[in-house]
Amino acid sequence: MKEVILDCLGEACPVPLVKAQNKLKELEVGDVLIVQIDHSCAMKNLPEWARKDGYNVEVEEVDDGEWEVIIEKNK
Amino acid sequence: MEKKETKFFDQLKNNAYYIKWLKNPFTYVTAAVLLSLFQTITLAVTKEPWGVSGVFAYWGAWVFEAFGGSVDKWYYFASSGAQAVLNDGFINHAGTWRNLGIIIGALTATLLASGFKIKKIKSKKQIIAASLGGLLMGYGARLAFGCNIGALYSGIASLSLSGWVFAIGMFFGAIVGSKLLVKFFM
Repeated sequence: MKEVILDCLGEACPVPLVKAQNKLKELEVGDVLIVQIDHSCAMKNLPEWARKDGYNVEVEEVDDGEWEVIIEKNK
Repeated sequence: MEKKETKFFDQLKNNAYYIKWLKNPFTYVTAAVLLSLFQTITLAVTKEPWGVSGVFAYWGAWVFEAFGGSVDKWYYFASSGAQAVLNDGFINHAGTWRNLGIIIGALTATLLASGFKIKKIKSKKQIIAASLGGLLMGYGARLAFGCNIGALYSGIASLSLSGWVFAIGMFFGAIVGSKLLVKFFM
């Protein structure tokens, strides 16, 4: 059970999504991936993809225009 | 007084209607319906289909003329229609106001959702890719006499075959673009 932070601040779509997909593949079941984003469209497509794939997802607004998408690799 | 204001905005932040209308993005379907509605209004009011990038060519011409240049002999601006637009000036150009509206509207929307942020530039690669991409898109849009709005969206909306041809070209272009993106930005 580890927590991995993926810094995608300053990256435009679809870079955060592809980076998160690649990173999640490396992780073990039970790990948590925290993707830091500041591109509002990633706030839509990241959780959408992760939920569709059946992972637990939470989005947290950490600052104006800055979010953390927390994905739990639960399977 | 100050205390009261903070309280008001704290309340607003949790207001269901604020969250629904201003904070959360609209669904794709809502946005699509609104776009269709407003592009119809644009066509009806200005007698021209919606376009975005063509306006920037006029902006460039006006800036060039402001510095004493002349585009009278340029093939792109040679038509009498283009000359009339240039002579009327940007104050009378519907497309100019529409584009300004898009920019101001987008800014307003992010500000109302408290999502405004000046992003840092992460690498030199981003500068190169953005400049190169912008130049290629602008140049390509002028060669094609339209961008994904004027040539694709308005083309298809006007039942024009050219819009579908543009769509096919854009589809394959997007595949190449995605491959390049994954290769250079991952």
